[in-house]
Amino acid sequence: MARPGSVAVVGVGHTRYGKLPEYDAYELGLWALKEALADSGLRFEDIDGLIVNRIPDYQRFCEIAGLNPSYVSTTPGQGRFSGICIETAAALIRDRLATIVALVYGNNGRSGGDRYGGAGDTYGSGGGGQWFAYGMTSPGAFHALMARRHMDLYGTTADQLGAVAKTFRDHAALNPSAVMRTPFTLTDYHASRYICEPLHLLDYCLINDGGVALILTSGERARDLAQRPVHVRGCGMATALAPSTFPPDDFWREPMRKAAAMSFRAARASHDDISALMIYDNFTPTVLLSLEGFGYCGEGESGPFAAEGHLALGARYPANTSGGHLSESYMQGWALNLEAVLQIRGSCGARQVKDCAFAHYMAAAPVVTSIIYGRDPS
Amino acid sequence: MRPLPNVDGPDQPFWRALRRGEVRLQRCGNCGLSRFPVARFCPQCRSETSEWHPVAPIGIIETWCIFHQPYFDGLSVPYTVIQVRLDCGVRLFSNPVGVETGSLHIGMPVEGVFEDITPDVTLLKFKPRTDYR
Repeated sequence: MARPGSVAVVGVGHTRYGKLPEYDAYELGLWALKEALADSGLRFEDIDGLIVNRIPDYQRFCEIAGLNPSYVSTTPGQGRFSGICIETAAALIRDRLATIVALVYGNNGRSGGDRYGGAGDTYGSGGGGQWFAYGMTSPGAFHALMARRHMDLYGTTADQLGAVAKTFRDHAALNPSAVMRTPFTLTDYHASRYICEPLHLLDYCLINDGGVALILTSGERARDLAQRPVHVRGCGMATALAPSTFPPDDFWREPMRKAAAMSFRAARASHDDISALMIYDNFTPTVLLSLEGFGYCGEGESGPFAAEGHLALGARYPANTSGGHLSESYMQGWALNLEAVLQIRGSCGARQVKDCAFAHYMAAAPVVTSIIYGRDPS
Repeated sequence: MRPLPNVDGPDQPFWRALRRGEVRLQRCGNCGLSRFPVARFCPQCRSETSEWHPVAPIGIIETWCIFHQPYFDGLSVPYTVIQVRLDCGVRLFSNPVGVETGSLHIGMPVEGVFEDITPDVTLLKFKPRTDYR
């Protein structure tokens, strides 16, 4: 029985991932939305709330999709926004501003020639133009600075970062949708070129085209639909925006602690209940920082924790079972949320986590989000 | 051509001062917080009054990274970027001079070096402090 105010994911869809030069971001989003609606058994006419992400304009999207929802908004193409959009959708449904909310993401960055660094770099607070004269640019360098400091403070090693990348690639090998599926060794990891030392190429996420859509509705409405609902059991959010031009002194530990506590409390669950982790993996260090901040290991212990194998399928906390951004697809958090839903449905095939009752999506960034999905409504 | 800062924008007093071999930063006229880049309001007390004041170009290295992927024409790789916290509290990205990257460490005391790179632009770089230890 769904308790009043409960919210569930009832449809998920995605495009092929890779190079899709014939589609723009709107079309990738619409492709994914068609898949998600088909999955849910709902029709375009049923959508009364829409949030588009990375797709530049809601009006254009509604025009090409033939939609007149009650609620619309457009959100910027930053990875932190997948969690924000999902949490906002849950609030819209609880407040009855909308009943069937479609979240639509389209990313043609690969074919569009997006570059994450250099003269067009807009990462961070107001863009990094102030520092280009010194060669400072790119989100990768920002995370390399954090990785170096973590290494100095806690003895974290390149092998431990490599273990994260290797584990996720091993998972991607079991995922037919993943872009990069060939396993590699730690020797291969060390042989991959440095992009911004201490980070190698294999510490970086992919850049590929694709789209993802999720359909959310109330627990009551979810009962009549095509799929077994996956419940959004708990949400949490916290920010570290002032100041945020430079990496945070605490590696975002405090906002992560707050967001995690908020989501676990709402979910009426604890770390012990969680079967699978979906960790925003723009770069391997972010995974380590998340394990510490969201409470899966102690401060400074994340390197050994990852290297000991706890994130692998079959271990205690299988993480990014799809391969994540590092190996499956750079869908900026969306595909990880989709994977959380599929794991709880039990439809992940060779990469299925046994008896997955709870999955935890977490993103470490200047805006931290934490979402706990559950098989049961309460 | 290497990337150059806009020395005639709102941060002009900062760049003009570097030209003369000194560091000037905007300081809140109400609470005294130093800040960079320029902003009309103080982020701590939201006061609109401020002045540009000279600060000692000394601080510590908080972390660093080494660029191997080239992002800018005119900057050849590899090169090192350091994050410096000045004693006045303001943080800057910069480059180290007079020290091997392998010898850098977190907490290393550094002092400013004024490097003229064009007739109009001087960059603030940092070298290990000689008066330390």
